[in-house]
Amino acid sequence: MSEAFLPVEALGELRHELRTPINHIVGYAEMLLEDAVEAGRADRRAALEEVLGAARDALTQINVTLAPVRSQVPAAEIASLYGSLRQPQRRIVGAVKPLLAAADAAAGEPLGDDLRRILRAADRLVPVETEAAPELRAAPHGSRAASADGAVARLLVVDDVEDNREVLRRRLERQGYAVECAEDGRRALALIAARPFDLVLLDVLMPDTDGYQVLQQIKDAPATRDIPVIMISALDDMPSIVKCIERGAEDFLPKPFDPVLLKARISASLEKKRLRDLEKEYLRQVGEVIEAATAVEKGGYRSGMLAHVAQRADELGRLARVFDGMAAEIQAREERLRDRIRELREDIGVARTSQEMVAVLDGDSLKPGSRFAERYEVVALVGSGGMGTVYRARDLELGDEIAIKTLRPGFVSDFNAVERFKSEIRLARRITHPNVVRTHDLGEWGGVYYLTMEYVEGITVRELIDVRGPLAAPSALAIGTQLAASLAVAHEQGVIHRDIKPQNLLLDDSGVLKVMDFGVARLAERTSTLTEAGLVVGTPSYMSPEQLLSERIDARSDLYAVGVVLYECLTRRLPFEAGSTVSLIAKLLAEEPAAPATLNADVPAPLSALIMRLLAKRPEDRVQTAGELAQLLNQVA
Amino acid sequence: MVRILLVEDNEMNRDMLSRRLVRKGYEVAMAVDGRQGVEMAQAGGYDLILMDMSLPEVDGWEATRQLRAAPETRAVPIIALTAHAMAGDREKALEAGCDDYDTKPIELPRLLAKIEAIVGKPPA
Repeated sequence: MSEAFLPVEALGELRHELRTPINHIVGYAEMLLEDAVEAGRADRRAALEEVLGAARDALTQINVTLAPVRSQVPAAEIASLYGSLRQPQRRIVGAVKPLLAAADAAAGEPLGDDLRRILRAADRLVPVETEAAPELRAAPHGSRAASADGAVARLLVVDDVEDNREVLRRRLERQGYAVECAEDGRRALALIAARPFDLVLLDVLMPDTDGYQVLQQIKDAPATRDIPVIMISALDDMPSIVKCIERGAEDFLPKPFDPVLLKARISASLEKKRLRDLEKEYLRQVGEVIEAATAVEKGGYRSGMLAHVAQRADELGRLARVFDGMAAEIQAREERLRDRIRELREDIGVARTSQEMVAVLDGDSLKPGSRFAERYEVVALVGSGGMGTVYRARDLELGDEIAIKTLRPGFVSDFNAVERFKSEIRLARRITHPNVVRTHDLGEWGGVYYLTMEYVEGITVRELIDVRGPLAAPSALAIGTQLAASLAVAHEQGVIHRDIKPQNLLLDDSGVLKVMDFGVARLAERTSTLTEAGLVVGTPSYMSPEQLLSERIDARSDLYAVGVVLYECLTRRLPFEAGSTVSLIAKLLAEEPAAPATLNADVPAPLSALIMRLLAKRPEDRVQTAGELAQLLNQVA
Repeated sequence: MVRILLVEDNEMNRDMLSRRLVRKGYEVAMAVDGRQGVEMAQAGGYDLILMDMSLPEVDGWEATRQLRAAPETRAVPIIALTAHAMAGDREKALEAGCDDYDTKPIELPRLLAKIEAIVGKPPA
């Protein structure tokens, strides 16, 4: 578990790595202690109590250094923790070994297996010192001489005095390192350039190229910059030490050096390098994850791109695994959406070829070719509804094709309503989404209020349903997901549509849905309720119970309307058919609609259930947000 | 007999804890990773699950969520076990749907108290 030594998140891993052997030692020792007490074996009891005492001491050290409240622990402290764990480790081994010898002597004693388990766990607590316990040298976790990749660490000794070199070489080789020597600076640089070293021990005073120059060159070259260098010199004056440190030496040892100190500094430097290597590798892999995220954004992610990072046992590995799963899911979802839209486009194509444009021209409609508001030229009448008439027009100032919606004078007589309407339009104009028809301006010309908006060439969902009859589930889902996506953005901006219905949903030839009239319903709101039922505007069939009853409405009312739209798309029927608003309200309060799946066997059960949830009478029983609805619709297979 | 399912990937942990629980009078079945744990739990018959959190295949957090999501295992109590003991692990475990949480190294009396609080003492 070499990843355990990564920054910040690594502390948990390290704690896990160290506390696991303690868990084993304590568990087995307590169990054996119970047996010893039962069997009245005082000798065993004392030894096992010693094991438990030592294990608890070790645990205290671990808990202090790696306290959960600490977010970062310097590498040096971890090295020192390992150092301080050796003592309890020795106590455990020392107490267990005589017991094991006795158990092995008395053949058939099952005690031996558990004692060996304790030794194995103690062995894992900290890399074993070769001198102290030679019989445990083949520890699976390697000795202290290992470098980051677990191989034996390679050291280079540079000294012009042969005796010095040989003494160091022999000593270091005994400690388990692979050692090479160089007799001068030039030779040292050649060796370093030829193969990687984990550490360089460098004499300062040498003829020709001296230690300072070698150090400088090692630290200047990007390829060798990270190799730790320990300077060794008889010059122990402050300026020479400073000079070494300034040039990037890891450490400085005065000659004649203390072997214990040398050993400690070498392991500390190697440990630091190991941590740095791991950190570099970690950062490199973080970079891979970021690259993969960019690839997802651009649609270029391939599953398995992070396979290498996903193998890690730590949090980054988990992130990579989760990420890969999510990316695969997003791809599948996009694929599904594309299929649905393809189906929807076929429906639209058929509908358009058989569509007969029926526009009721009333008396005061604008004639094609006429000017409007001194800025627009009317191209054609598009349609006319409860609130007003829609024209296709040309903006003479900008040259754009736009749509003009004139509002019937009856709606705009109330000054307060106009003010409320204006503020709502201001809000609605902020919504920028591919599934929302852009509203440009609200104006008044010759006593007529009008709205200008983006012109969308296409048909409404109303027309699609009327021509095609009940739609297949993929088409309905393509409408539903786009509608939910647009509402999610609008609701985030604080805009509730209030009049979601098939007439307000436009589909262009490529299957893109555009929601019209955000904010417009506000104007008609007051007249669309029970209190003035005679003036009902638009279509109460799509209104939620709370909207019909003039109660406070929120975003969930729009979601009710989405439920009605989907219901109608799939069944060509409304959940409640009624002749008047009053009887609609009566039915709505008293009855449950038939589930879509019971009216059209082709409706998948989960979709049918989802629509019924949207039609819940109480807002709190519905899907709560448009974002959640979009997700649920995506999940319907 | 109270039946405990121990989900633990570390062989020594499994051996040690199962033997200690058997000594205390519990019946113990074992799973070596989260996936096997979920499968065994779904087969039914356990009064309690001891769930290590760092598991291969499906980790303990995910296994707990799966068990909580399935109607047949929703009600089986789960005690989370972890040697990480990071700040916030406890809340995370309870949030994932565990009934209790304990850290490794295991203090047996403490763990037994937690087990007994959920399923009661085994017959002596």
